[in-house]
Amino acid sequence: MSAISELSSITRRKGKATAEEKKANGRDNKAAYIFLLPWLVGLIAITIGPMLMSLYLSFTDYNLLQPPEWTGLDNFTRMLSDARLHNSLGVTFTYVFIGVPLQLAVALLIALVLDKGLRGLPFYRSVFYLPSLLGGSVAVAILWKQIFGTTGLVNQVLAMFGIQGPGWISDPSTALGSIILLHVWTFGAPMIIFLAGLRQIPTMYYEAAKVDGATTLQQFWRITMPMLSPIIFFNLVLQIIGSFQSFTQAFIVSGGNGGPSDSTMFFTLYLYQKGFGQFDMGYASAMAWVLLVIIGVFTAINFIASKYWVFYDD
Amino acid sequence: MQLFPRPASARQPAERRSRGAHRFRKTGVVAAAAAVMALSACGGGSSTPNADGPVELRFSWWGGDKRAQLTQEAIKQFEAENPNIKIKPEFGDWSGYWDKLATQVAANDAPDIIQMDEKYITEYSSRGALLDLSKYEIDTSKLDEAALNAGKSEDGLTGIAAGINAATILANPAVFEAAGVPLPDDSTWTWEDFGRIAAEITEKSPKGTYGAAAYGTDEASLGVWLRQNGKSLYTSDGELGFEPADIAEWWAFLKELSAKKAVPSASEVVEAEAAPLDQSGLATGKNAMAFWWSNQAPALEKASGGDLKIMRFPTKTGSADDAGLWYKASQFWSASSRTKHPEETAKFIDFLTNNVKAGETLLADRGVYPNSEVRAAIESKLTPADVKVVKFIDQIKDELGEAPAPPPKGAGSIQEIIKRYTSEVLFERLSPEDAGKKAHDEMKSAISS
Repeated sequence: MSAISELSSITRRKGKATAEEKKANGRDNKAAYIFLLPWLVGLIAITIGPMLMSLYLSFTDYNLLQPPEWTGLDNFTRMLSDARLHNSLGVTFTYVFIGVPLQLAVALLIALVLDKGLRGLPFYRSVFYLPSLLGGSVAVAILWKQIFGTTGLVNQVLAMFGIQGPGWISDPSTALGSIILLHVWTFGAPMIIFLAGLRQIPTMYYEAAKVDGATTLQQFWRITMPMLSPIIFFNLVLQIIGSFQSFTQAFIVSGGNGGPSDSTMFFTLYLYQKGFGQFDMGYASAMAWVLLVIIGVFTAINFIASKYWVFYDD
Repeated sequence: MQLFPRPASARQPAERRSRGAHRFRKTGVVAAAAAVMALSACGGGSSTPNADGPVELRFSWWGGDKRAQLTQEAIKQFEAENPNIKIKPEFGDWSGYWDKLATQVAANDAPDIIQMDEKYITEYSSRGALLDLSKYEIDTSKLDEAALNAGKSEDGLTGIAAGINAATILANPAVFEAAGVPLPDDSTWTWEDFGRIAAEITEKSPKGTYGAAAYGTDEASLGVWLRQNGKSLYTSDGELGFEPADIAEWWAFLKELSAKKAVPSASEVVEAEAAPLDQSGLATGKNAMAFWWSNQAPALEKASGGDLKIMRFPTKTGSADDAGLWYKASQFWSASSRTKHPEETAKFIDFLTNNVKAGETLLADRGVYPNSEVRAAIESKLTPADVKVVKFIDQIKDELGEAPAPPPKGAGSIQEIIKRYTSEVLFERLSPEDAGKKAHDEMKSAISS
């Protein structure tokens, strides 16, 4: 009924919003809100609500069993003298600042190879992407544990050459390295993005460079890298944020305790242990907010630094 | 004035649009319904407060497959006797169990009946999360006194022992035999003997097999060691009952064992920590001896596929009277203080504690029955492995030391601290003395917070 009048109003009085039209607009919005509802409910009930709650809890002493007690900044000052927390920061930073550049380098390298117009490209692309889908999963972490165990696949191969390998994930000096390797192995997602980025670079630049006698390496540094820099930046930001928050791999590989000797005690894992293992949810909430600030700071640094190295074509 | 161009959909022909709008409404209703259902699913699960209708109780425990089977069998028997009460089981692994329970209690969604451990019972009871069972109809007259007292505190009777346990060393005679080393006499052996025998087995066994599993992955073996030295893990007023030097000595001896390869390498020890019971070194024949609770012997025997021998801990003096063992309540039956059906919950705990039928089903899986009457009644039903356990518990009766003080609040973190510093010592990143000092500090602050 009103749809017909609406149609006529559109044809008759273009540009001016009548009362009916406003009504129709409202109906449109209503429909949009209904569609958004499941997401909105999720956003409020399981994201914003808990976030506000955790902000409140971070200023309290909350043991999960009794009501929280306001303690002001106590949780934050306690962090200053918590040696295990400092260690966990060290572990997390090592993971992020070694794992992310390594992973992106591998991703770019593979993308460059695949971009050379390989036969069966979609197949290889899928195969290389696979670890990204699986990498964060529990199953792969368990598999990793087997492969890098004292009698695991890696050491069996090494034994063929007469080398007695260490217990990669059970030795404090190599455990974190094994987890970083797991992260690097999931290079598929940034690789796909790099591939798409490489396709965007007009071939005429390369042709012109070739005519001028530029070597492949020169072409890479002078054309590919600048043209790809926005994509690299995008991947960098995404991966750094993600890596600061990684939890599953360390949790599974270390059996939930960040061991051996806290060598894989990620910040998030320590947070989890504090909150659920030691009934210190106030402290854990405070830690979560510290992590948010850390991620915020590094993302900001990233954006500021990007002005100096990211090149936008247009 | 229109600032933005109207979306294309608004200009669609009338007929299509109206059908579309109709569909919107339908979808909206479905979506909203789905969202509401999803929300209620999170919060639900609690029983209905209906006076006459059936009552549903939730019952959670940790443990393996065998325990799940037996327990569900016992639940069926209870439901047959009490058609008005339904018991909904929730079970899982030890490690995930405590995270989950803490979350459930925090969310006011605790199970009605909770299998509790001594490490956590003070944590929960002192914060008012557990029901004082003495106020309800549960017959405790047949329970062994020590077992009953283990569940008592200033907050009342918040747990009833489900079984009696003792710390033991389990030996795999097949590994001894293969190495050509005779089994020791566990009533006279010393820690020196233990180290010597274990090292000898390692030497005479194929690569990868060790005389003993390393201790240092939980507080039970530390507790025994301390008691043999006249100390204890905790004092009765909730402090640590030992000095840094005591635990340093314990780690120094472990380092000695490690140096002569009586126990696996540091890496192997770390890996073994994560292995479930049926893949442990003892079960797979990689260790000749290992440290376990007595109630775990039948499950381990089943996993190893052979015979196991239950032995006393070695002593400093060579006399079993100084072994310093004690009867531990293997687990407790506790109830949530917020249960809506305390009477029914108590009825179920009473059934588990005093009913012979329950005993005949559960047997010795949670340790030796603390109810002497049930224990006698089910004797003929026990499997040979269970019988061994019961016998051992009986044997050490006259050698027991004083009952240890109950673990204080925060004791749940102690095991993790011990584990971590054990690997610091084994990987030679810290000397036993430094580890002793640091661990002592950390434990102190864990139980004082």
